[in-house]
Amino acid sequence: MDSPLETFPLFMVGPESFAVPIMASVVVTWAIMAVLVLGAALLTRRLTMVPSRAQATAELLVGTVDQQIRDVTGAAPAPYRAFVGTLFLFILIANWSSLIPGVTPPTATMETPAALAAIVFLSIIFFGIRGGGVGGFLRGFALPNPVMIPLNMLESITRSISMFVRLFGNVMSGVFVIAIVGSLAALLVPIPLMVLDLLTGAVQAYIFAVLSMVFITSAVEKGKPQTAPETKES
Amino acid sequence: MTFDYWTLGFQAVNVLVLIWLLHRFFWKPVAAMIAARQATVATLLDEAKAKQAEAEAALAKIAATKAGLAAERDAMLATARKDAQAARETLLAEARAEAEALHATAKAARVRAAETLKANAIDEAQGLALTIAGQLAARLDGPATDAAFLRWLVEGLAALSDTERTALAGVELELVSAADQDSPVQDRIAAAITNALGTPAKLTFRTEPALIAGHELHAPHFSLRNSWRADLDRIAAALGEKGDLSDAA
Repeated sequence: MDSPLETFPLFMVGPESFAVPIMASVVVTWAIMAVLVLGAALLTRRLTMVPSRAQATAELLVGTVDQQIRDVTGAAPAPYRAFVGTLFLFILIANWSSLIPGVTPPTATMETPAALAAIVFLSIIFFGIRGGGVGGFLRGFALPNPVMIPLNMLESITRSISMFVRLFGNVMSGVFVIAIVGSLAALLVPIPLMVLDLLTGAVQAYIFAVLSMVFITSAVEKGKPQTAPETKES
Repeated sequence: MTFDYWTLGFQAVNVLVLIWLLHRFFWKPVAAMIAARQATVATLLDEAKAKQAEAEAALAKIAATKAGLAAERDAMLATARKDAQAARETLLAEARAEAEALHATAKAARVRAAETLKANAIDEAQGLALTIAGQLAARLDGPATDAAFLRWLVEGLAALSDTERTALAGVELELVSAADQDSPVQDRIAAAITNALGTPAKLTFRTEPALIAGHELHAPHFSLRNSWRADLDRIAAALGEKGDLSDAA
């Protein structure tokens, strides 16, 4: 059994002197992208006022994501819907792709969760600057006082790293455990673990999406101009 | 442990592309459809509220109309009842008048019938009395009867007042008898009358069988009826008066 921390290229592209390795996780990601985009295109090709079952399911998904964004941030969901919703969908499908025999989920390798964490890290900066400007975003690091600037900057990096490690660790461990158990008793025994892996995958997708939303909202809120607290006159 | 930065970059780009593609093909159109449906539902709700308001207004109008109809119906019923009462009273009055008229007509007819019956009865009684009197007179002694009637005639003349007797003096008198009188009898009658009047009487004699028996003395302004016929007439008159009195009672 290969180490889960080791990845091997599936094939190489480009000239031999500058060959770019294409890992299996990238191919699986392309497949997931193809499925999601084609499915979405087919689903939204004929949207009607009286929805079909598939359209109703899609609308339920969109409504649920919107409601989650509202509950977490209290803000209008439209600016964050595509980012947070796509993160959730991609991670969920990637995690559940372990159910397909011979497929290793992209999130079970370090590169994909790292890429997702990096995107979240950058998106926090993007939404923070868009919400309060560069000055407002940078002022957010000085809250509650400038002494906290190093710690806040370090936290902004470490929380992204923690998201990466949490997602990678949970998914990788699930896949690894199932692989170990499957190598010992291949028939039926891994099924409960696979079910558990489904639950873990859904939970991790939800946690990743919600934490992304929380961090982005925090950056946006900190970047907004601070209003003086009201004082009661006696 | 290996970490491939190419893969990191590929995955980052892949996820960003996926975010854009799903935004383009999934999140945006579905959210737009939800918003459109919400807008449609809101519009429909507004229209439904407007329709409901219109319906309530129409309902209130109908209720008002119904109330007006009820009042109008009550008024019409009251008018109809009043008209019916008036018509009933009119009919009753007409029926009462007609009944009274019929009653009066019947009463008049009954009175007329009674009078006719009475007159017929009297006539029959008179006829019967005449028959009886005639038969009686036929069986009586004629001279004696004539003498009795002549005596009653003289007594009648004697009962007259002097003024009346004086008025008869010199007047032409007609003596009507039930049977023919021969000359001696006529002379005796003339003598008796002259004696009763105290002045000579101018007498003419006439026979009238209808008198049955007796003598009657007539002048232009005087009449002394002294016969059975006169008696029967008086009886009939008395019967008639009695009948009238009975009807009046």
